[in-house]
Amino acid sequence: MAYIDYYKILGVDKKASQEEIKKAYRKLARKMHPDLNPDDKDAHKKFQQINEANEVLSDPDKRKKYDQYGEHWQHADEIEKNKARQDQYQQSGGFSGDMNEGDFSDFFESLFGKQTQQHRGRNVKFRGQDFNAELVLLLKLAYTTHQQTLAVNGKNIRITIPAGVENGQIIRLKGHGGPGVNGGPQGDLYITFVIEKDPVFRRDGNDLHTVVDLDLYTAVLGGEILLDTFSGKIKLKVNPETQNGTKIRLKGKGFPVYKHEGVFGDLYVTYQIKIPTGLTEKQKELFTQLSKL
Amino acid sequence: MEKDELIRMESFCMIYEIEPAFLHLLEESGLVEIVHEQDEEYIATTALEQLEKFMRLHHDLDINANGLEAIAYLLQKISDLQDEISRLKNRLNLYE
Repeated sequence: MAYIDYYKILGVDKKASQEEIKKAYRKLARKMHPDLNPDDKDAHKKFQQINEANEVLSDPDKRKKYDQYGEHWQHADEIEKNKARQDQYQQSGGFSGDMNEGDFSDFFESLFGKQTQQHRGRNVKFRGQDFNAELVLLLKLAYTTHQQTLAVNGKNIRITIPAGVENGQIIRLKGHGGPGVNGGPQGDLYITFVIEKDPVFRRDGNDLHTVVDLDLYTAVLGGEILLDTFSGKIKLKVNPETQNGTKIRLKGKGFPVYKHEGVFGDLYVTYQIKIPTGLTEKQKELFTQLSKL
Repeated sequence: MEKDELIRMESFCMIYEIEPAFLHLLEESGLVEIVHEQDEEYIATTALEQLEKFMRLHHDLDINANGLEAIAYLLQKISDLQDEISRLKNRLNLYE
């Protein structure tokens, strides 16, 4: 647990007046308020710090205690045994924005005891804090609607992930965030999907792209090949005299369209013709003959 | 709209300890829709989340209804831009 310099956090001098502290606090709060910085974890953390700094420095009693013990705060508890005094602290007008219990540092609680909601000013009910989480999915998993169990703050939540979810897409799970303030409703959980790159298929929206190796003989003479896709094997007819880099479109064989059951993008297959290597004498002879025809 | 999807504004103001005038100002700015039925005023439950955000900003930062209107517009713009960045990043990944 490290000493926290509340003056530094608010960017004020140790001799700053209450008015200067208030001014500095409001200026920083306007920048870092969680409602103005959605999904910005750094801003949320910073907001908690400035709120905590204000909680202490705007309250003459707390500020006095903080100034008195300063870096020797670890001994504060020994001296200040009577915690009942904490209940006499006046409200400091701290912010409500998405804050709840546990938003104070260990340092703060060591010095002033655990803060409860009634110390936090208005008795207004507010939603709990929204939580953010990332869920990494293989492209193949994102292809099908499936269920996953997530552990969020010690609780297991089973969610259904619809097929076709996009990389970076965010879904909201109502009521799975932090507890509400003063009996307000729970916050929500926002899950950001991170879709991993697939070694075979690359995704462009709802379309899939892949490169398939084609041997020279099939490319020249035509034939059939089997292609592995997320939905199983597909038999592809290869036209005779297929050129290297030829791209074909398989309609409706791409990625499922999010929340449009049965609707799929297209699959684009690019042929990459492999020239045979390590030819036998006989093969070389035949190629020579061909070249002279 | 069904009745169970609405909250009486009077009850709402009492629970949230807020003046009805503030909600009327938000309504004027187009930030919240107040449903008028007979002599009662209601708020849709779907608007609660957004409304709570406005209330926090109003209380915490002393932002008035005009300021909230500007903030709502800019936050929406940021959200749209972030979506656009996300889409473009995904496209860019195709060429990496």
